[in-house]
Amino acid sequence: MRKVLRDRLYKGIGLTFLAATLLILYAPILVILVLSVNDSRRGYAWEGFTLKWYSALFTGSALTEPILNTLAVAFTATAVATVLGTIFAIGINALEKKRRVKMVLLNNIPVVNPDIVTAISLMIVFSLLSLTFGFGTVLLAHIFFSMPYVILSILPALRKLDANLYEAGLDLGCSRGQAVTKVILPNIATGIFSGAMMAFTMSIDDFVITYFTSGANYMNVSTWLYSKLRLPQAFTPAAYAYNIIIFAVTIAVIVSSNLVNVRKERLKNEKIG
Amino acid sequence: MNRLRRYSLPYLVWMGIFILIPTVVLLILAFSDLSLYRPGTFRLSLANFAIFSLPTTQRAIWNSFRFAGIAAAICFIIGYPVAFYLSKLGIRVRKILISLLIVPLWSNMLLRINAWEKIFTANSIVTDVFGLSISLVGTDAAIVLGMVAMYLPFMVFPIFSVLEKMDPKLVEAARDLGANDVQTFFRVVFPLSGGGVISGFVMTFLPALTTFVLPAYLGLGKYTLIGTLIESKFIKEAADSRALSINQGSLISLFLMILSITAFLLVIRVDKEGETLI
Amino acid sequence: MSKKMIVLNHIYKSYGDLKVLDDFNLYINENEFITLLGPSGCGKTTCLRLIGGFEAPDSGTIEFDGKIINGLEPNQREINTCFQKYALFPHLDVFGNIAFGLRLKKIPKEEITQRVEEVLRLVKMEGLGSRTVSTLSGGQQQRVAIARAIVNRPKVLLLDEPLGALDLKLRQEMQYELKEMQKELGITFVYVTHDQEEALTMSDTIVIMNEGKILQIGTPEDIYNEPKNRFVANFIGESNLFEGIMHEDYLVEFCGRSFECVDKGFRKDEPVDVVIRPEDFDFVPPSKGKIVGIVDSLLFKGVHYEINVIVDGREYTIHTTKFRDIGVKVGLSVDPDNIHVMKRSGA
Repeated sequence: MRKVLRDRLYKGIGLTFLAATLLILYAPILVILVLSVNDSRRGYAWEGFTLKWYSALFTGSALTEPILNTLAVAFTATAVATVLGTIFAIGINALEKKRRVKMVLLNNIPVVNPDIVTAISLMIVFSLLSLTFGFGTVLLAHIFFSMPYVILSILPALRKLDANLYEAGLDLGCSRGQAVTKVILPNIATGIFSGAMMAFTMSIDDFVITYFTSGANYMNVSTWLYSKLRLPQAFTPAAYAYNIIIFAVTIAVIVSSNLVNVRKERLKNEKIG
Repeated sequence: MNRLRRYSLPYLVWMGIFILIPTVVLLILAFSDLSLYRPGTFRLSLANFAIFSLPTTQRAIWNSFRFAGIAAAICFIIGYPVAFYLSKLGIRVRKILISLLIVPLWSNMLLRINAWEKIFTANSIVTDVFGLSISLVGTDAAIVLGMVAMYLPFMVFPIFSVLEKMDPKLVEAARDLGANDVQTFFRVVFPLSGGGVISGFVMTFLPALTTFVLPAYLGLGKYTLIGTLIESKFIKEAADSRALSINQGSLISLFLMILSITAFLLVIRVDKEGETLI
Repeated sequence: MSKKMIVLNHIYKSYGDLKVLDDFNLYINENEFITLLGPSGCGKTTCLRLIGGFEAPDSGTIEFDGKIINGLEPNQREINTCFQKYALFPHLDVFGNIAFGLRLKKIPKEEITQRVEEVLRLVKMEGLGSRTVSTLSGGQQQRVAIARAIVNRPKVLLLDEPLGALDLKLRQEMQYELKEMQKELGITFVYVTHDQEEALTMSDTIVIMNEGKILQIGTPEDIYNEPKNRFVANFIGESNLFEGIMHEDYLVEFCGRSFECVDKGFRKDEPVDVVIRPEDFDFVPPSKGKIVGIVDSLLFKGVHYEINVIVDGREYTIHTTKFRDIGVKVGLSVDPDNIHVMKRSGA
């Protein structure tokens, strides 16, 4: 009897804290949602429902350019970071244990470093190389900071593979390239996908690193927001609408990819049963 | 396998360029009057250290550590029970709830901070729609709560990932050897989740320590934190080339770098493969 | 005699400072079931990987069917491997795994189907082609791994501890099946294991290795009955090992007693190692035994008892079907041809 009570108490505490966490995390999302349908440019008070900020996104606004910049960087950086990250991860995984651990450590430095330290490091390298600050430097910066996450999410998938898989491919007639594309890649596809998703979501939301590496004339959504949130005359609530759309699309992609996985699992299980 | 090894070599070069070189340059900048944008002759000096004697700097460092420390502690107090509770749930519910914790992070951070600013402002749109009127903006509490709201998931994830992997037989073994619930937790479960806790502290404390967006909005710009200092040294004051602001900024960045290296060493002692980092 | 299929000539291979193969020489005949047997780290797997082409020797040549193949990639060798832990492709089903090599060779679809079904039958997995590999039992995975290799009709099949992950009963079954399969296919099997029983049951030839060197090559009978040295005797089967002195041909002294034996050709009074298998001792009445001791412990092993007898403070292990209780005084005898005299190791 006492044990049951105690278990209930633990569960109650866990549940309460979980609820508090979810509240803290979702409260601002809710506010953003409200602001995105509020018929007011300044957003100080509720002035009625509207969808005009959503349509403003597609008809053009001050935000159009930052949005295009953000998407261009995010897609390009994700593609490059995923391809390179996959190759590097395969290489790192093939190293003997001591070197592998060292490489993973190196890989994790940017992950643990606060954004601002990474940002300043990149800014210094770009200045030394006399690069013009703008799309190029931001893209390079995004590739740099997202690649470690790609590698981190692919490595466990590689570790799970039988160590002889690559050689089994060679043994059965693959060239070296084929052994990678026909044997290794199909088996780490999930890891690559989740790495790419992570790279994309980090790039699309990045503020600090873009802020330090973009120079004065190139803006993504975050740096635009930073300069305009304090200026009601220049700001547009279309930013809230943009945020809600990106948010919804990301969720849709993740949910649908999860559903595909679940369906695959089910098919598998049906075959067994 | 051995033939695949060479794929890792370019990564070493790449990381060398973006980690080693800036660290060396940062060191030189911090201890000299070299100009980053117009490099020429330079003198080594400790003159940049003068910035640490300024009351603004001292206050910024003190405030940053205080806020980030309190915020990380609150994150731990809330986050550990949440991670523990999640790790005990069935795999389906657990997956859904973890996703629920990740999803809000896909919303732009600046807009989330902007939303908190509205929540913490009395008679704002939040009052209109939800009937809630809180006046916190511009206070310590607003900044600390903002930090908790931004970084809490980064405390939950690493702890959860350690607890999830923990062999449930360990708990049974502890019970078998005569430990009660509380003893089992403090003598077995908690020590074994130490790696996750350390990663969690690092992943919440460091970003909180270095933020400059949070104080700008939730502090109404009244607070100068370390991040604010660096921002102004590298961006706002940098136009004035005589002021050595970048050199001073480099010195502060170096200070942060040492901190994050310390944190990094702490993390790798408990987690060599970085499994708790994502 | 049969044709030499594979010849390894003066192979050296090191990893860093560690010499894995040290002037290694071996030939493997056509249609032979040859087993490389030795403790872990003895170089047997490296030897296999050199033949398969996954690693290159530091020096020395590897010949296959009369041609040097050092420079050939694994996919250019008419050799296939059955890997330790199988290395089945998780993204493909059973059929996909087996058809993998054939598809790469662009063999027509109907032929692939026919050949895959043929080997599925051979490994007793008919009708399981559409199963995902992760849903197979260990024994089934083993069969798929073999099928995947032999469907390519290699001249040589390399097997790297293929039965290591299976339980005892299944392992014994598979030993038998593998042997049958090898006879039916008529190809060379090169088998690597550290399990001496496996080696004795299946092989035509056993190669005993330690620290990168070959200690003895021979048929299972040769190796069991006439171990060349202390290491081989210890590694193959259980044995009682004694240090002795060879007084003259057919007369050896150990444990302070002289025994007749069937060995000759040693120097006078040469120090030797003597091995007597536990099953070669017989109990005799204490009055008639050259060796007399007290039964110290007794284990029932099913077919026989394992009895430890203490003689002059030294323990003798005896396998016998006769029961002797603990504490009983017994005499031991051994036939002269069951006393194996070997050159002293390291002498």
